[in-house]
Order: sequence, then structure tokens, then C-alpha cells
Amino acid sequence: MIPDWMNRTETEPYHGAASVAKKKSFGKKTIDGALSFFRESLISETFAKRKGLLQSLDPRVKLISMFVLVVGVTFMTSPWVLLVIYLLTLVLAYFSKIEVLWFVKRVWVFIPIFAGVIVIPMLFNVFLAGNVLVPIATLGNGSHLGPIALPSSIYITQQGTIYVVTFILRVAACVSLAILLFLTTKQDLLFKSLRAIRVPKVYVLTISMCYRYIFLLLDTIADLFTARRSRQITSLPTREEQRWVGGRVGYMLVKSLDTSDKVHQAMISRGFDGDVKLMHDNVMHHRDYVAIVTVLACCVILALISRSIISL
Amino acid sequence: METIFDLQNVSHSYLDKFEALKDINLTMTAGEQITIIGANGSGKSTLLLILDALIYATSGEVYAFGNPVTEERFNALEDNEFARYFRTKVGFVFQNPDVQLFSSTVFDEIAFGPLQLGLPREDVVKRTEEVMAMLALSNIRDRAPHTLSGGERKKVCIGSILSINPDVLLLDEPTGGLDPRTQLWLTELLQDLAKAGKTIITATHDMNIVEQISTRSIVFGEDHTIRADCSSTEVMNDQELLLSANLIHEHQHWHGELLHKHPHPSEGEHHHEQVAHHVR
Ligand SMILES: Nc1ncnc2c1ncn2[C@@H]1O[C@H](COP(=O)(O)OP(=O)(O)OP(=O)(O)O)[C@@H](O)[C@H]1O
Ligand SMILES: [Mg+2]
Repeated sequence: MIPDWMNRTETEPYHGAASVAKKKSFGKKTIDGALSFFRESLISETFAKRKGLLQSLDPRVKLISMFVLVVGVTFMTSPWVLLVIYLLTLVLAYFSKIEVLWFVKRVWVFIPIFAGVIVIPMLFNVFLAGNVLVPIATLGNGSHLGPIALPSSIYITQQGTIYVVTFILRVAACVSLAILLFLTTKQDLLFKSLRAIRVPKVYVLTISMCYRYIFLLLDTIADLFTARRSRQITSLPTREEQRWVGGRVGYMLVKSLDTSDKVHQAMISRGFDGDVKLMHDNVMHHRDYVAIVTVLACCVILALISRSIISL
Repeated sequence: METIFDLQNVSHSYLDKFEALKDINLTMTAGEQITIIGANGSGKSTLLLILDALIYATSGEVYAFGNPVTEERFNALEDNEFARYFRTKVGFVFQNPDVQLFSSTVFDEIAFGPLQLGLPREDVVKRTEEVMAMLALSNIRDRAPHTLSGGERKKVCIGSILSINPDVLLLDEPTGGLDPRTQLWLTELLQDLAKAGKTIITATHDMNIVEQISTRSIVFGEDHTIRADCSSTEVMNDQELLLSANLIHEHQHWHGELLHKHPHPSEGEHHHEQVAHHVR
């Protein structure tokens, strides 16, 4: 029944020496990092279980406060005020028993994507006219970059720098607030409070499906790597590996979408109808009222300062 | 006896391409223990999904508790009385435990069902504690389900359904991945539940348990149709049938109840009768 070559079985003991990998491969590094972050922080709810400041607040209060702050931040134009808000998130992280350095690192992972692609060009006078801050190059009149006419000299502008710094600080503050909310709140409580503040069932259902979907996607990726490692004999060069990862993305999307569908079925089967029901009772404590009033007051004052309606 | 499920000329194909069930006619009544047996890919899981109203017949009619089961009746997001009644009555243990475990602790997982069905808090806690004690899961109550071993996961899945206390249990390959001792424990549990009057419908290809957990067997052929629907003893004694459904291999001899006679421990000690093997 089995083909000929399968009949041959090596019985010689192994004589070579085991070599030690010099560096982790591209895919493995990326995936391990992402996975351990999500597992640690969101699935195991390590941070949400700690007893800190934000953990002790009612999830509805946190949700509303975060929303108010994010809206506030988008209205603020002064980089100093934004810096204060960003530093405030670090203080909140500290009092919520989240390692501040770790938190800062996680937040700034997301920022280069925005900063690099969207705003860095705004530094230069090519995109935003302004006063010279750092001269870069003198091109002379009539130079072109493709069809675009370039100014006679290129420099980093003062206005551009302020613009970029403000933008990055705004992103940093918003991302920090969102991550704080997710880290300090158990996921099912979060979805329950979305319902509590009257977000329609369909949206909550969709968000919770997406949330679950992201984890499944990550798990599927990890499984794929494990499965491949068990079959792979030599390690691939980074380029190859990147191509392999790329080639699998489409497949993984389909696969995890299918699994997420089945998870949803399993929930429906046990009576889930889009309304999250939990043991936990939402009770507003004294500190919750204090928190929400403080947040609102802070937001209004900072927005007014930022718009120079009041000055210190 | 009350009819629970009634299927008339039911067919199902996935994505209108992959046929999974063809022209199924069935009725199942309350208090029956039924096994669904068939080779890989014959449509067992699909049938259970249809019975649990998670997918719908592409043609034919399905009735549950006397009501037609259609997508419109179940998928409405609004208050849906029949759907809720159905979910309290019917529990489904999935083939793959990973899709069934979505809570962050074992306790939450088992408490999920009763909570969704709107039981009072104290009852939920009491039920969850009792189910965990029964399944010996109390010592891992705070673990995240995805960190458990395959067998432990399966137990949590079963627990998460038992806590709903459904009258109708649908189980897809419940013994897959369990060690022999736990398998035995499970068959005894199913026997106890049967005595309590539950309807138990199990899809399996574990021939060893068919007669222990069911009185009626439905055999699926590889053409996705029903090959036989009769008593479990009859099915297990019908070599030709099992062979034609590709459930056994011709080099394997199935000796019906003789191979593994296994009275329940309360009725006497375990004893296995030795059988002389014929050589063809
Ligand atoms: N999501 C799906 N998409 C497309 N085809 C599917 C899907 N699920 C199952 N099928 C097909 O439907 C048929 C019946 O599958 P089903 O899972 O019901 O078999 P089964 O009897 O449970 O098999 P097993 O013993 O392996 O669990 C198979 O041919 C399978 O390939
Ligand atoms: Mg199956």
C-alpha cells in the first residue's frame, strides 16, 4: 500500500551537532510580539484584573469619559495643552498599575504609521509655506520633481514643525486613551456598557464580532507558523519569509472569518441574542460621579485655554 | 410522546455547491437516545447544526417543537420568544471545542448560558458551582479556557451546556480526544442523563459507545443520505450495512454486542467477554 521510498527507514543515530539560531526569523518575531501583547493584555485581562484607579471606575463612566476626552482632544490646537493631556494619560496608567514604560512603548508603536505617511511631509515648505527653521537644500529657480514645480530652496518650516508636533501629540493622546480603556476594562463589561449607553444592538454585536475576529486571526497566524515549523527543514531568508507571510494573509482571513462565524453560532446556540448579560452589576459609586465631573471640567477648561478663550 | 424534531425532505448544500445532506426524512421524539453514525464528511455535523437551528435547510422543511424552523424566525434581533424557548430546550456540544470557548475563565464559560437565558444571579452561581463540582473542574475555575488541555476543554464545553439544563442534548463527537477513563465517565454521564428523561442525539464514529448511549441509530452513507434508521443493536449487528457505509473495513470484524459487552457499574461489575477471532 505505501510507496517504495516510504519503506526505507533510517536507524542510524544522529552524529551532527545541534546549532543555535542566531536570530529569530522575521515572521516569528513579529507574530510572537503581537500575540504576546494581545494575550497578556486583552485575553487574559491581566491589567483589567489589577486593582488600580481606572479599574475601580464604572465601565460606563470610563467609556463616556474617554469619548469626551477624545472629542476634546480633536478640538485642542495648542501643542502644550495636548502634551499635558498625554502626560495625564501616563499618570493614569501609573495609578492603574500599568508599567508606564511598557505603556509608552506600546502606544508609540502605532504612531510612526500615522506620522510617517501622513504628516512628515508637512514639515517642509513644499507642502506648507512658512518661516525657515532648518534649511535643507537650495535648488535654484525652475526645478521640478516630476510634474511638481519645486520652490527655489527647501527648508523645514516653523509652522510645519508645530503642525506635525501637534498632530503627533493628538494621535498619541487619543491612542493612549483608547488603549487605557481597553487595558483596564474586561471586554465583556465593555460591550455591556456600550449597550448601557444605548448604542444599538447591531453595532455592539458587530464590534464584539470584530474584536473576537482579531484574536482568531492572530491565533490562526500563530497556528500556521507552528504548523509550518513542524514541516520546515531549513530556515528561509527574510525576503522569502516575508513573501510566505504575505501569501498566507488571504487564506488566513478566510479561515478565521469562518471560525469566527462558528464561534458566533456557538454563542447563539447558548442563548446569546446580542444583549450581553453578565454577573457583574453596574453600580455607580461616589468616585464614578467625581470622575465624570472632573473629566468634563478638565476638558472644557483645556479646550478653552487651547482656543485662547481664557488665558492663564 | 411529543415530537421534538420533524424533518421532511431536507437537503443542505454549503455555498450552493458542496452537498452535505440529501433528502432527509426524520422524526425524533422526546426521551429518545439516538446516535448518528457515518463516515467522515457524510453530513453528521451538518445535520446537528440544522437541528440546532444554526444553519437552515436549503430545501425541505424542518419543524422543532411543532413550529417551523426558518431563518426569519430565528435571525430577528428583536425580542424573539420562540427562539429563546428553543435555546433553553436544546443544547449543542460542538465537535471543535475551540469555537465553543469564548469566555475568559472556566467559571464565566459555564455561567454564560444560564445568564443569557435570564436566570436569577444566585441560581446561575449555584448551577455553575454544581456543574463544576460534577465535572471536577473546580480547581481550574479561574483558568482561561484556551490554556487548558484538549480533554479539559471538552469537559468545559460539556459543562457549559449542562448548566443550561436542556431537555435535548446534541453532541458532536463527544468522545474525541478523551482518554479511556474519561470516555467511560462520559458514557456513564450520558446514561444517567438518559435515565433522567433527556433526549440525547450524538454524532459519532466511535462504534464502541453506540449501543451504550443509544437505542436508535441513524446511519449516513457517503452520498449524504440516510442508509438506515433502526435500533442500535440491529445496526451494530449488520456487517453489510456498516461495510457499505464505510464505517468499518473488511479486515475488521465487528461482533456486535459481543465484542464489548459492558453493563453499567451499578448493575454489576465490568466484564468483557472474550471473543474468538475468525480469520477470513
Ligand atoms: N463550511 C463548509 N463549507 C463547505 N463545505 C462544507 C462545510 N462544512 C462541511 N462541508 C462539507 O459538507 C459535507 C458534510 O460535512 P460534515 O461536517 O457534516 O461531515 P461529518 O459527517 O460531520 O464529518 P466528520 O466525521 O469528519 O466530522 C462534507 O463533504 C464537507 O466537505
Ligand atoms: Mg463532524
